[in-house]
Amino acid sequence: MAAVIDLDGVSIGYGADAPPVLVDVTLSVERGSFVAIVGPSGVGKSTLLRVVAGLHKARGGNVIIHQDQRPAHRPVGLVFQDARLLPWRRVVKNVQLGLEGLPVSRADRLRRAEDALKLVRLDGYARRWPYELSGGQRQRVGIARAMAVDPDILLMDEPFGALDAITRNNLQDELRRIHRETGKTILFVTHDLEEAVHLADRIIVLGGSPARVVRDVQNNAGRDGAVFRDQVEKLRLEIADNYSI
Amino acid sequence: MKIQHSLALSALGVVAFLLGWEAVAQSGIVPARLIPSPSAVPAAFLAEFQRGIWQEMVLASLSHYLVGLSLGAFLGVSFGTAAALWPIWDAFQAWVVRMLRPIPAIAWIPFAIIWFGVSEGAASFLIALTVFWINYYASYSAVRGVDKDLIELGHAFGQGGLIPRLFKIILPGALPGILAGLRAGLGQGWMTVVAAELFGISGLGMRMMEASGLLATHIVVLYMVTIALLYGVSDFLFMQVQSRVLSWQR
Repeated sequence: MAAVIDLDGVSIGYGADAPPVLVDVTLSVERGSFVAIVGPSGVGKSTLLRVVAGLHKARGGNVIIHQDQRPAHRPVGLVFQDARLLPWRRVVKNVQLGLEGLPVSRADRLRRAEDALKLVRLDGYARRWPYELSGGQRQRVGIARAMAVDPDILLMDEPFGALDAITRNNLQDELRRIHRETGKTILFVTHDLEEAVHLADRIIVLGGSPARVVRDVQNNAGRDGAVFRDQVEKLRLEIADNYSI
Repeated sequence: MKIQHSLALSALGVVAFLLGWEAVAQSGIVPARLIPSPSAVPAAFLAEFQRGIWQEMVLASLSHYLVGLSLGAFLGVSFGTAAALWPIWDAFQAWVVRMLRPIPAIAWIPFAIIWFGVSEGAASFLIALTVFWINYYASYSAVRGVDKDLIELGHAFGQGGLIPRLFKIILPGALPGILAGLRAGLGQGWMTVVAAELFGISGLGMRMMEASGLLATHIVVLYMVTIALLYGVSDFLFMQVQSRVLSWQR
């Protein structure tokens, strides 16, 4: 399988003089895989995602995204923890945000936005204002917006962290379905081990101070049962061993 | 509160105010010249209207007002936004702003006359000055207050360049604050109209000055009421536009 992203010796810090929070991250993400990054808060998971998205400059190392040659797409689609919709745009216009500036006709933009809304099962909500939506629906719009740019990789920054348990479970199932249906590569940051074990087929554990990759496991433990619990427990110990404040 | 209720209450307030005023004027506690009764105003209006003076003065003031308001608002929003966007420009102009800001528009009257003569231009200039500062500060803080997360969102979705960032994220995000500034300028602008015309530029202010020189206080009151109505109408219209433009707000 071909890699979509290669990280090579990436280190991350905030401010020029502060010590780095994350060092020596070398990993490659295969096309179509669902990779979760877990670790205690403050370890730099979200920042790592921002580095991949080009929003934060790595202090050292290289980030390479192997872009497809398809026209009219963006390399990454980012989903935030707070859905982060533009309150002055209707849902369908929010979904089109990333398509603006790409060589896409107005009609195609609309069609792609509608397809993306259909993918997250929000067709029929196109003309709503963000304030009219529930938290879960807003997050679906956020996912649709990221999918509309047809990204090489979907980056998700604790996207379900602020939702109630029932909505979170629903959206986790939806995300599995979306992954199955579209075959998109997904890089998913979470501090919730169960979520990671449930969703991902590969789990990368960050830990230590400064943090580095302490574990990189293939995962197919599924949703529940003994295998699932074992996997979660194993990772929990792994993180506890490498945890320092 | 339902809209009919609040409209009815507003009307009731105005009627009560006029009745109280009429009562004081009629009671003879104070001489009629000091407090003209509001019932004298319609007659004054008819007289002024038939001679065509009222229309002429309203049109003259309105044109000063519109020119000054649009110029001042446009420049105020532009400079305020620019200062909020670029820290280097902000630092460069900060002390110039601090020096010029405390000077009231009226203090510029001598210069307005020297530069523009006793003319339409002078009145518009003074109004523009007043409106400029209000909009400058309102836009400055509105743009500074735009959610940084939304700007990051713009970068993540390819809208990080100056033009898309400005027109898709920053200005829409700052719009409620900018509109609040425009609305404040609307009121301050009318106040300056009168002040600017007091020194002889044709308009409501000039007519008030003439009438008070002749102790025709009922005519002064007529023009006061006129200004109040003009302000009321412009503020009402602005509110209609504003609520439509901001319909995305809860």
